Amino acid sequence: MSNQLVFLLLAGAAGAAAATISNIDAQALLKQSDMERNGSESYVVRVKIRNYEAGKTDEEHLYGVSQKGIEKTHVEFLSPREKGRFLLMLGDDMWIYLPDTSRPVRITPLERLAGDASNGDIARTNYAYDYDAVYLRTEEAAGVPCHVLELNAKRKGSTYHRIVYWVRVSDARPVKADFFLTSGKHIKSATFDEYREDGGRTRLVRMTIYDQIRKNSHSVLDYSNYEAKELPDKLFHQGRVDRF
Amino acid sequence: MRALGLLILAIVPALAGEGSETRYSLSVTDEGEFATGLRVPGADNGNLLLVEPSFAYKSGDRWRFATSLAGVTQTQGDTHARVRVKETYLDVTLGDVDFTVGKRILRWGTGYAFTATGILDPPRMATDPTDRLSLYQGREMVKADWVEGKHDITVAWASAGVLDTRRPGVYDTTALRYNVLAAGFDTSVIVAHQGGGANFAGANFTRVIGTAVELHGEFAWREAAAVLFGGKYTTASGITTIAEFYTTPDTAYFRSPGLPASAGRQHYGYVRIAKSRVRERPGWKEWDVAASWVANLNDGSHVAVFDAGRRFGNHFYTYGHAQAPAGKHRGSEYGAIPYSALTSIGVTFQL
Repeated sequence: MSNQLVFLLLAGAAGAAAATISNIDAQALLKQSDMERNGSESYVVRVKIRNYEAGKTDEEHLYGVSQKGIEKTHVEFLSPREKGRFLLMLGDDMWIYLPDTSRPVRITPLERLAGDASNGDIARTNYAYDYDAVYLRTEEAAGVPCHVLELNAKRKGSTYHRIVYWVRVSDARPVKADFFLTSGKHIKSATFDEYREDGGRTRLVRMTIYDQIRKNSHSVLDYSNYEAKELPDKLFHQGRVDRF
Repeated sequence: MRALGLLILAIVPALAGEGSETRYSLSVTDEGEFATGLRVPGADNGNLLLVEPSFAYKSGDRWRFATSLAGVTQTQGDTHARVRVKETYLDVTLGDVDFTVGKRILRWGTGYAFTATGILDPPRMATDPTDRLSLYQGREMVKADWVEGKHDITVAWASAGVLDTRRPGVYDTTALRYNVLAAGFDTSVIVAHQGGGANFAGANFTRVIGTAVELHGEFAWREAAAVLFGGKYTTASGITTIAEFYTTPDTAYFRSPGLPASAGRQHYGYVRIAKSRVRERPGWKEWDVAASWVANLNDGSHVAVFDAGRRFGNHFYTYGHAQAPAGKHRGSEYGAIPYSALTSIGVTFQL
């Protein structure tokens, strides 16, 4: 009798868990996590990237990012060696403006994958727009209970082919991520280290990206000077990309 | 130069206001070069010192002033120094229209090494299509841009030279360009009228296919047709290959300066393979390497070009550039270049 009772309880618990998982809308969770990460749909922010090799900082980059909605991103390169460069993303279409060519040059999605932190890591942060989410499981990560999502690219402009994404159960705040190429290669991992509350909304202020190919290399991204802002559509036109 | 300085001093305070932003940069380059197999009298080595400051000021979304200069000191036997005004212009936005007055670099062509439709573009050199020393100069012009959604209409009048010295082959030009992004095609249609009565019409496009391929093309008509097709392919490891085919008619406008008037229609090929940041090799993360090849397919002459550069910290970049022409010394476009190899080694400091 007692064995039957235990079996029934376990079966009930498993059924409830399965029902809970099937009730979780992975895509809605992903949208919520995007808002937790970005704070607002339209904003400007400074991103400072410090690259580390074998524990020592070897390079710094500074970017001014302007984001409007989910499709429009304008990135101004501000570090000494890259001054005068701009990156524009309009959905799946991308251009880079280089001062030595004096025109916006059309680039392919694969051309964005350079550096420990790629252009896509800076400019392509609305995952719900780029990926289809599937709920995998619940597990602890960085000491907090997390939903684990599998994100599969649904647009050619998506930076990665697949992402395994841990978001906090309590509020869908991103905690960590593993990034994979089409070949299946695990190329990078990221931890979302620090958030700040500002005007009743949270937003990411620090993340770290670990290179999984060169294991002794990682990049720290610091977000500052965040400002929720309505941006004119004209800023996001390839012909005007150099007008900071 | 003095007038330019006074102009900057006069304009900047007048524009100061809320929401203003400034940008500046300074680049100092010292480059040594030496030629081997020199077939003309003269020094086979030289030195180039470049000081290139740039400054831009923006007041809200209404005004923007930008200037970019190059101080060039060249030693090749004798030493010559001069200052080039690469760009100096004022942008004003009134309603939906942006107006530009001044000297401005425009690049309307979509080709990488060649262009048929770049009627206001600086003259392009296939052996140095990215202008590695940033010495291109703009045209003195008045320009108006109207942008609405994915549509952009530009009307420009560019002088053959008002303040600047008149350059050979440069005409007063009135041009209209319509640019639109539709179905992934970034497409432009250009019509122009040039001093001397010549009319120009052309169209170009770029299109990305999948995640790794970009295609581009240009068609232009000025007395006869010039056509360019090209593409770019990027591998998952970041190696980028660019290839182009270009054909020009035997007219003074399209003809390369190194060719005689009777050379006939010319056909060119270009290939470039490059990798930025050779991260796969230990110790090579800071290196960029590229090799390119440009050929005149009619006379069989060609030039091989090699570039390698390494970053040091956040401000220094060292590089090497070498080009080796080949072909008949007489009667071929690239074979007539009077050396067998030219090597340049330099260091750049950027602030």
